[in-house]
Amino acid sequence: MATIVSSAAIHHALVLDRQELAPGIVLLGFDAPALVSVTRPGQFVMAIPPSGERAATALGIYEASGNRASVMFFVVGKRTAELAALQIGDHIKLAGPLGHGFTVENVRDAAIVAGGVGIASVLLPAQTLLRNGARVRLYYGARSAELLVDRDRFTSEGCEVLVATDDGSLGHSGYITDVLAATHEPPEMILACGPTPMLRAVARIADELNVAAQLSLEETFGCGVGGCWGCVVPLVRSSDQAPSFPPAHRNGSDVVYARVCKEGPVFWAHELRW
Amino acid sequence: MVDLRGIDLGVNIGKLELNYPTFMGSGCYGSGEEFAPFIDLARIGAVVLKSVTRLPRLGNPTPRLVHTPAGMLNAIGLQNPGIDWYLEHEVAKFASRPCAVVGSVAGFSVDDYAYVGERLAARDEIDALEVNISCPNVASEGETFACDPNLTGKVVRAVRATTDKTLIVKLSPNVTDIASIAREAEAAGADALAVINTVRGMSIDVDRWQPRLGNVTGGLSGAAIRPIAVLAVYEVARAVKIPIVGQGGIETTSDALEFFLAGASAISIGTANFTDPQIPERIIEELAQYLRLRNLGSLAKIVGKANVGFSNPYQYEGDEG
Repeated sequence: MATIVSSAAIHHALVLDRQELAPGIVLLGFDAPALVSVTRPGQFVMAIPPSGERAATALGIYEASGNRASVMFFVVGKRTAELAALQIGDHIKLAGPLGHGFTVENVRDAAIVAGGVGIASVLLPAQTLLRNGARVRLYYGARSAELLVDRDRFTSEGCEVLVATDDGSLGHSGYITDVLAATHEPPEMILACGPTPMLRAVARIADELNVAAQLSLEETFGCGVGGCWGCVVPLVRSSDQAPSFPPAHRNGSDVVYARVCKEGPVFWAHELRW
Repeated sequence: MVDLRGIDLGVNIGKLELNYPTFMGSGCYGSGEEFAPFIDLARIGAVVLKSVTRLPRLGNPTPRLVHTPAGMLNAIGLQNPGIDWYLEHEVAKFASRPCAVVGSVAGFSVDDYAYVGERLAARDEIDALEVNISCPNVASEGETFACDPNLTGKVVRAVRATTDKTLIVKLSPNVTDIASIAREAEAAGADALAVINTVRGMSIDVDRWQPRLGNVTGGLSGAAIRPIAVLAVYEVARAVKIPIVGQGGIETTSDALEFFLAGASAISIGTANFTDPQIPERIIEELAQYLRLRNLGSLAKIVGKANVGFSNPYQYEGDEG
């Protein structure tokens, strides 16, 4: 996967636009040209709370083009509620871009699996793939049709969009991973972002289809920059992404905890030992 | 020493001469490099590295972090590659830091501390040592040293015997009488005390009927523990003559001032860096403003100034005992 070059900085971003795409799902657009110019697919920012009272929040970068970057998130608690209260014209500090994103070079046929607001991390890799001439199928699942936000955007970008809802209100009734598993044309590569149970299912399906999969993981972050080792996931030590760690002694486990915020958030499914 | 618009914020901790009285707490700040894109490391006093042990440690199972009201619980479990690997692959990178670099030593026996401390302190890249006798997240052994004055003394004497570099001993709040531990550390040769490490805590998921942390228990940090830490600094300052690095939930300049007034000569910022990595820089600027407004030329003039003892001057007979 792409090597990390520290192009991160703190961006004093102006809120340009704010939309509620569905109940509880907020899209915030920022004027942040310096952030846009260095963002790669699958990276995130730490949004520094205006009140200074709570930990910063990790948010996948949804769009990055021209002067404008955007983030999309579900309001789940006090930290996201504070961000959701931002209005056009407000400023917020964004630290980023951070993390190790998706590798999309030389992929000709990709399946992207997104669950819920996991969609926020997959537009940029989809755009890059399409720009490179790849076929991109988006497998997009959510609890209900109204939570399948911005799906037309992906169609208009050139993705083939397949959807599933838990309540059957649109597309397949059930999990989106069922749709992926039933494909007759396995892709060359799978990219996925969503809840952990979905990612585990994607890893299993990728293994059955004999296809490499890159998973963008979600974990509770402390610092978000690799300083605290709070957001780790077990990874085989032989992975290129494994942090610097000595080999296991005799009979020891050859697993090392890697930081989701630094070595990840995107990992190869076959290298995870979770 | 560097002046900040005429105000001297410099402080000496043992042989460590710092331009600023701000440490970045161990385990919160990586090796400093992680935060370099967001803050000028030349504008902090010292970074305290993540603790290293004799042997490699995978660390605790996940989840390792839980956000809690006004703070967070963590149970990282001293994940580190062990001293051999650390010296060979990591330490050389610290030479380029524009701030002081404090190595942190953890262990499971007196001998561990002496062995790791000696080897770490022998490196030029390491300016001072913090002796972490108070990690609450490693089985039962980790914190035992900080909970027993006798063991505290043994560990500190053992490390002291191996190096002349500044030794900062990190104390636990999870004790009955922190002052007695502090006195023992001082008598054993500590140059300074870091007060406090995290407070033991726990959080339970009521849907899954399980502890939220993989390690079951964790260490609480953040604003939630600040009053506990201020009192600990106050008590320790009355018990010892060596300088104190006050820490525990410092987020603002006002918070920092509480620690200085309680008796700390320097402060350490940990969890607040997870809110905004620019907080340490803001605090030194505002400390300088605070001192200038009061026509005080240096920080040393306010250290311990809130020390009024513990007595209540207005008492009836029944108030005693």
